[in-house]
Amino acid sequence: VLLMRAAVWTLAALGLAGPLSAEVLKINGSTTVNLAAAEAAEILKAEKGLQVQVDTQGGSSGGISMLGDGLVQIGMISKPLSDADRAKYPKVKFNPIAVGEDAVALIVSPDVWQGGVHALSQAQMRDIYEGRVTNWKGVGGPDQRIVFFNKEPGRGTWEVFAHWLYGDAKKAPPVSFREVGANEEARNKVASTRGALSQLSASWADGKTVYALGLKDDAGSVAEPTSANIRAGRYPMSRTLALVTNGSPQGDAKAFVEFMLGKRGQDLMRKHGYLGVDELGGAGK
Amino acid sequence: VRPPEATRLLSYAFSAVTAAFLAALASLLAWQSVAVWRREGLGYLTGTRWFFRVPEFGAAPMVYGTLAVAVLALLLAAPVALGAAVFTAEYLAPRPRALVKSLVELLAGVPSVVYGLLGVLLLRDWVYRLLERFDVLSGDTLLTAGVLLAVMVLPTIMTLSDDALRAVPGVQREAARSLGMTRAEAILRVSLPAAAPGIVAALLLGLGRALGETIAVFLVVGRQDNQWPQRLASLRPLLDSGQTLTSKLGGSETHIAYGDPLHWAAMAGLGVILLALVGTVTLAAAWLARRGSAAHA
Repeated sequence: VLLMRAAVWTLAALGLAGPLSAEVLKINGSTTVNLAAAEAAEILKAEKGLQVQVDTQGGSSGGISMLGDGLVQIGMISKPLSDADRAKYPKVKFNPIAVGEDAVALIVSPDVWQGGVHALSQAQMRDIYEGRVTNWKGVGGPDQRIVFFNKEPGRGTWEVFAHWLYGDAKKAPPVSFREVGANEEARNKVASTRGALSQLSASWADGKTVYALGLKDDAGSVAEPTSANIRAGRYPMSRTLALVTNGSPQGDAKAFVEFMLGKRGQDLMRKHGYLGVDELGGAGK
Repeated sequence: VRPPEATRLLSYAFSAVTAAFLAALASLLAWQSVAVWRREGLGYLTGTRWFFRVPEFGAAPMVYGTLAVAVLALLLAAPVALGAAVFTAEYLAPRPRALVKSLVELLAGVPSVVYGLLGVLLLRDWVYRLLERFDVLSGDTLLTAGVLLAVMVLPTIMTLSDDALRAVPGVQREAARSLGMTRAEAILRVSLPAAAPGIVAALLLGLGRALGETIAVFLVVGRQDNQWPQRLASLRPLLDSGQTLTSKLGGSETHIAYGDPLHWAAMAGLGVILLALVGTVTLAAAWLARRGSAAHA
């Protein structure tokens, strides 16, 4: 790694020593958006010779502050811009452009669904995640042990889940459950195991082999992960993924934004398990 | 330089390249893992808790998982493979033997991801349904991984054992028969003992393959951390999910670790342990195989 890093630095140094006049498009922010954005940057580099640098210093907050300070042309965010952000940089015209949505469903195996568990509250999910409840009986379901397949850490899906449950993925307690990786694997294993529960990108919860639970808020009302609910912001385990520019994007930044909104950029979003912007207007499931 | 000299020099040179490559690989991994040894000491090997966010790195449950699935695979595969090898080497005529052997070797060449997918589609469910009375929680168990690995290492063990048996000179068999032994007696008393070092080498090479196999195990073992058994001799943990060195290295943590020196060192350390395990087994196999062929010479 050190050797590789040294090589990267050397290359970077050579690059910087070279054509300084050519403006490098700098992008920084959310690691969630970065998954797709970094791939898009590679494609644009190879195909159009675009000079792009994508970084994830400080996540979404880093993206906003570096855009505010004029250090980058595009910020990547997976949380909404707050009034405080705007107040901090009064001269900057923050222009968020949604490129997709990251909604995560809690999915269960058919026996759990038929056993009457159709929704979980945050408190119930925390009990399960922290090992206080290990039987579906404990959350009003059938007498069946809970087999929790945890999405492996580092996946966007897990981040959204942990963010919903603990406010910040870094605050999630260390646990050891069975782990699943790709969406196919999660769906297949939950479908074939009694008492199973896992997190899965909402677009993968088919309602035939696995069932998506609703999320119960403190008042007891339930939000299901339908496209309509996600679009309206009624489903809490979901985030809009966006690029932010200062005013409307210009030049290379414009080319990048257009690529992300085009078919290939949107395909990259879907590849990483997110909903595309067009799906946000789609029919409910 | 005369031609034989050139050949010898070249073969030295190529051997040196191989050796240098191995040495570079081992020392690079060892060097990368220094940080975790410095922090955890021997506790890195004996510790039973692995939480990279804490951070805390104890690799013992993964070493246990690796050894459990590999030894299980060997125990399941060895009797079948040996039986098949005795059949092909001692009973089959040369032509059908060549046919059976090439079919078996074809099996050895099937990519492991194919076995892995079959494991996910069939084996997981079979294990799950068959062992339901033992209260298994899911089909992702060490046992599933062990059975899958047994199928995967069977061809390797079988074909190498067959070679070892065929290397026993026919004169010895004839001598045994002429002393009045039946065919079965000749196999048990003469062929098998004479081929023993080669057969053990075949078993060890099979074990080596089982220890290092990644993707097939990854898909069926459950990848659950910190599954340290309460009693090491107990069989019950085999019906639970677990984690092996390879399934850990094949997972997402490798990507997370990149950029965090300590975490990265912990992952590289798993590579060192795995290399040491596989290296020991392979060297032992090579040594036995050489002793075996020397015995017949």
